[in-house]
Amino acid sequence: MIKAVKASLSEKILFIFLICLGIFAFTSFFLLKNKCLSVKEVNLEKVNFPDPENIAIMNVECGNIVIELYPEISPNSVERFKTLINKGLYDGSAFYKVIKNTLVQAGDLEYGKKEYLDYSKIGSGKSKLGTLKSELNDDFEFTEGSVGFARSTEFNTEDSEFFITLREIPIYQGEYTPLGKVIYGLDILERIKTGNKAIYVLRPDFINSFKMLNAN
Amino acid sequence: MRILILLLFCLNITCVKADEIYNLLKIPNLEIFKLKSKNNIRYLNTNNDFKIGVDDNITCKKTKKINLNKKFPVIEKNLSLYNSNFLKKIQLKYIVLCEDLFISEINTGGIPDTQKRTLILDINFNQKYFERMIHHEIFHMIQSSHRNYFDEELFSNFNEPNFIYAECSTCSNRLNLDLYENTKGFLTEYSKSIPSEDMAEIFSFLMTNKSKMNEIIQKDNILKNKVELIKSGLSKIDNNIL
Repeated sequence: MIKAVKASLSEKILFIFLICLGIFAFTSFFLLKNKCLSVKEVNLEKVNFPDPENIAIMNVECGNIVIELYPEISPNSVERFKTLINKGLYDGSAFYKVIKNTLVQAGDLEYGKKEYLDYSKIGSGKSKLGTLKSELNDDFEFTEGSVGFARSTEFNTEDSEFFITLREIPIYQGEYTPLGKVIYGLDILERIKTGNKAIYVLRPDFINSFKMLNAN
Repeated sequence: MRILILLLFCLNITCVKADEIYNLLKIPNLEIFKLKSKNNIRYLNTNNDFKIGVDDNITCKKTKKINLNKKFPVIEKNLSLYNSNFLKKIQLKYIVLCEDLFISEINTGGIPDTQKRTLILDINFNQKYFERMIHHEIFHMIQSSHRNYFDEELFSNFNEPNFIYAECSTCSNRLNLDLYENTKGFLTEYSKSIPSEDMAEIFSFLMTNKSKMNEIIQKDNILKNKVELIKSGLSKIDNNIL
């Protein structure tokens, strides 16, 4: 006859502890893997935008980023930006240059798209609309969430690439054409995949869609 | 496929020189020293030695705080003589401060770069000529951005017919920066090196000791002509500089 063995108190405590540890490890694995966890999502229908003509909505993996554009500061550049948005050309564009806690850059329409990513040429692609004259503004401060047109080392080479600052970058003032500012979703941009000790990102995150508010 | 993997690997291990100042000026190890000034000049300090240029031929060392605090007021005072509009026209926006600046192993006071709108200044440069050196280097930026206003052939023709400049500024031993007692068309020995250095020397004296210059040109016709050419060129850029 088999005699039932009763677990001691310490064995019971150890057993409960191991179960708790297992649950904790399991949930942590899934929670930590989800980079979009605790991102604040803006409800666009509940927000009353004073200038809806100049509101652009960029959708990425973790949600929507709302950008207010400033045509009064950079009229030609904002017009170009809107044209590219309205044509849907930024959809699928890679955030190929990401400097942690500093900036994210996307908008290479030739070599930086989801369907065609060329690491040897990325950053040199063209929109085929030609380059623009820089619209520099000595008063525009590149604070956290500022959107600017990227350029080569020369001025007047703006085309389609843009960057968004994740912190204040005072040295950019008067150096880059301002396009606008992020008014919602900066925390979403902070989740964009960064390069591992490099400024260029392998297997980068992409813009799912980029639309003007009025186009929705 | 192997090439792609190799490329991806190279991209991944590329060192992050990605600070925003480096992206703009392509000079590593800089930090903001003073960003706001009346004439919009931005001062950058070197927090570590750097090497730039072809084969890293330009080298400069990081600044010591004590030297920087001593020299910065002098630099700022001299640069405040130029208004923001003028500085924009001569494409000067950034002053990089470092110590012991060398180009191809030759010590130099400053290196102007109109393309990057930058002037690198050696804050350890000889105290005796320091202020004048600042204006001397600024003239190179003026000339570089407005070459047609400062015709070197026309300028050289003011000299005695038998005078010949050197092939380049460092190709001769005419390096002394002391003011001649008897000028005879040249303010310093270095003025005799090449026309652009001659012009820069005149400009630097005009900016630092205008009354002495006025006194000199009363007795030296060659210098008088040279000064007039420089003043004429400058007035086409900005009437308020001299």
